Amino acid sequence: MFFRILSVFGFFFLYAPIAALVFYSFNASKLVTVWGGFSTKWYGELFGDPQILGAAWISLKIAFISASISVVLGTLAALIMVRFGRFKGRTLFSGMITAPLVMPEVITGLSLLMLFISLQGLIGWPVGRGLSTIVIAHSTFGLAFVAVIVQSRLVDMDKDIEEAASDLGARPVRVFFDITLPMILPALVSAWLLAFTLSLDDLVIASFVAGPGASTLPMVIFSKVRLGVSPDINALATIMIGIVGLGIFCATLVMLRKSSREG
Amino acid sequence: MMNWFQRRGRTIIIAIPMLWLLIFFLAPFFVVFKISFAEIARARPPFTPLFSWEESRLLISLSLENYAYLWDDTLYVKAYFSSMKIAFFSTVFALLVGYPMAYVVARSSDRWRNILLMLVVLPFWTSFLLRVYAWIGFLKGNGLINALLLKLGLINEPLIMLQTNFAVYVGIVYTYLPFMILPLYANLTKIDNTLLEAAEDLGASKFVSFMTITLPLSLPGIIAGSTLVFIPAIGEFVIPALLGGPDTLMIGKVLWTEFFNNRDWPVASAVATAMLVLLVLPIMWMRRAAEEEVS
Amino acid sequence: MTHPNPTDEKPWLDIDRKPFIKIRNLTKKFGDVVAVDNISLDIYENELFSLLGGSGCGKSTLLRMLAGFEIPTSGTIEIDGQNMLAVPPHARPTNMMFQSYALFPHMNVAKNVGYGLRRDGLQKAEIDIQVSEILELVQLGGYEKRKPSQLSGGQRQRVALARALIKKPKLLLLDEPLGALDKKLREETQFELINIQETLGVTFIVVTHDQEEAMTLSTRIGVMDIGTIAQIGEPQEVYEFPRTRYVADFIGSVNLFEGRVIKDSPNKLVIESPDAGINIHVPHGVSCSPNQLLWFALRPEKFEISVAKPKNVTNLLKGTVEDIAYLGGQSVYLVRLETGRLVRTVRANRDRGAEAPITWQQDVYLTWARSAGVVLTS
Repeated sequence: MFFRILSVFGFFFLYAPIAALVFYSFNASKLVTVWGGFSTKWYGELFGDPQILGAAWISLKIAFISASISVVLGTLAALIMVRFGRFKGRTLFSGMITAPLVMPEVITGLSLLMLFISLQGLIGWPVGRGLSTIVIAHSTFGLAFVAVIVQSRLVDMDKDIEEAASDLGARPVRVFFDITLPMILPALVSAWLLAFTLSLDDLVIASFVAGPGASTLPMVIFSKVRLGVSPDINALATIMIGIVGLGIFCATLVMLRKSSREG
Repeated sequence: MMNWFQRRGRTIIIAIPMLWLLIFFLAPFFVVFKISFAEIARARPPFTPLFSWEESRLLISLSLENYAYLWDDTLYVKAYFSSMKIAFFSTVFALLVGYPMAYVVARSSDRWRNILLMLVVLPFWTSFLLRVYAWIGFLKGNGLINALLLKLGLINEPLIMLQTNFAVYVGIVYTYLPFMILPLYANLTKIDNTLLEAAEDLGASKFVSFMTITLPLSLPGIIAGSTLVFIPAIGEFVIPALLGGPDTLMIGKVLWTEFFNNRDWPVASAVATAMLVLLVLPIMWMRRAAEEEVS
Repeated sequence: MTHPNPTDEKPWLDIDRKPFIKIRNLTKKFGDVVAVDNISLDIYENELFSLLGGSGCGKSTLLRMLAGFEIPTSGTIEIDGQNMLAVPPHARPTNMMFQSYALFPHMNVAKNVGYGLRRDGLQKAEIDIQVSEILELVQLGGYEKRKPSQLSGGQRQRVALARALIKKPKLLLLDEPLGALDKKLREETQFELINIQETLGVTFIVVTHDQEEAMTLSTRIGVMDIGTIAQIGEPQEVYEFPRTRYVADFIGSVNLFEGRVIKDSPNKLVIESPDAGINIHVPHGVSCSPNQLLWFALRPEKFEISVAKPKNVTNLLKGTVEDIAYLGGQSVYLVRLETGRLVRTVRANRDRGAEAPITWQQDVYLTWARSAGVVLTS
């Protein structure tokens, strides 16, 4: 009972700031303490801001590409870890897929930038920095998260089922596409979404490896909110919460329908 | 005994992610390590080369000055200990807030459990940056909390909360709470309810059975959740930058300032190298030891 | 019409017959653990061969090496004259029925069963015909569109069997095929399995830990013990003439009396057994050194149990009934001998209400026909 009361406070703590953001995005007044009446003018201001819109488009592009690369590389990494047994360099490999999870972002960002600059000096690539360098950086840490999710799914999966397919005449590649892939597909979808969200959310690494030309959405938000509360960011936050909420709602519906059909 | 084709296919599959990680994850650290021995220079890039050819002789100039500087200037040592302290207490607070929540979620009926679990996870999918930003409006001098307290007559003048370490604690606990709750929840649902019934059957009160059965059995969850909060909190940059004040010392912020504001790449590299050795390597070693213990 | 040659029924008795599967000096090590230890084994066409043993005896590892999932540390496997070592699982002429059935959860029954034929590149129409034929055979006609999750345990077992059989493999490997079924269903399915095997003429190798199952199904049984084969033989042979104490004890239950040889001639053996408290007479000799330590093994059902002292018998034990277990068809009596040894005997309950009731703490006599037991030297 005691815990129940505490957890009510906990959930309040979790949601009060989010609720406040949504609430104030419709406040005509700029001050949080004053209710200036209902207004959607901050939304108008938001959609009239080419800097924010441009940054959002860049961020979405980066998130989409890097999440897709992460899923491909991370799934390969997970397969290698779970199904390939021993090979030369396995310890190094497993270290390199878990280390990004604990690596502080400032270190990852700084060291990748140093690499890009050195590479440019040595082989002339990458020319400058921008979209492609951010994509590489995000794919690398996304890979680690994808590998963790897919690995745990693969470990749970009965190896018998793959063996049965190869026993019935399927070559290894065929086994992967006929059996393994369909069975780990839900894990791949959630891994992709996680990598997408992490990329969309990242400020620190992108700040290091982005050139002067490319500003991602978090970078623009950061430079705005550093100076204090700005109501059009409230509007942006509300839109993002709305999209996430809708997504989770749909996912829950799909899951409920699926479980009721199977059960 | 695999045939040639299979063995070659295997090597190619291993090589793809392996090369990617070697180039984009491992190699950067060696570059940073190299630059940490250079000196700052007015050039592009702004540091002296380590190797140079002079009169067809290879000249290697290694400078340990950056590391000496880190040691001499107390700022860096202080920032290191301050990061550890802030991360530690944030973890404790997150545990105190998260444990009851995880417990309630784990013990609720099936229908409620899914809803509550979704409520725990949902903030995690929204922007981290915006969730930190939300607290600015709450904590600032003319913010919501102060307005409320003034109206209730509990205080006479606004409390200074923003740009203090207090705000940093709040921010870390708030943003990392799901990381604490999820492993705890996963662990608590695994505890067999009949164990508690057995304890009560043998005469333990609800409180005693919680203290003697549930709490010790949930220790792995506590450790897992605490690790997930503590480790990223040490290197945190966004929270101290937005909610902390000028005297909030955290190593991530120091590195950022060194790089972006002072443009001192060699010192920034030395900070990163020291951070790697003092934070990340022990953590990885600990994880390894823990994994070995499990298996 | 000629008289059927006995070696057609029992090809292993014919020295000139070529074995269908030839396993030679097969060894598999996992690190330091030897799972299969230098096994050589011949299996003939159309056999239903059982590998019987407890968990960890290496029977599943042996089966997985035949399927190609494990690579032998040393030794060779030949199937129908072809060396299998370099052949990957998908190219072997074997199919396997997994203990977990390993049905593909995202495919329906028809897709599961037809999977192997699709890999062989058959036309869809041809696949459909074969699938419905084999489903008829395992009595699952009309279940084509069901998903595995919508089937009962017994139905899943049949789907797994149909899927493994549809490619008409030269060799079908079955890993605990009936292990997941309840007792009643298991007994029915045993006979069905034999029928299917005889209909299709496929060679079966069955791995099982259930000795009753092995006895019912098999043409021959290989009893395995920590990586080696302790004995190979027809079910009756393995039961009545076990070669070692391990085999005697693993198949059925047995009373073992330890003793030493005091007389050994071609048609008479006398064992002095402090265990039994008497000298045991056996009507045949064993070639062994005098005074050698050996064991006399006697199945519980070989005992004649009586209240009155029987006359003119050579082997007679006296004891007290310590426990009785009524099992319906038969009763088990645990008899404590005067030496302190506990002996297990079984008597069929022929009449309702036993003729001369034997009760707890009653003194009884135990005898057996002189040839009822087996002398074991190891």
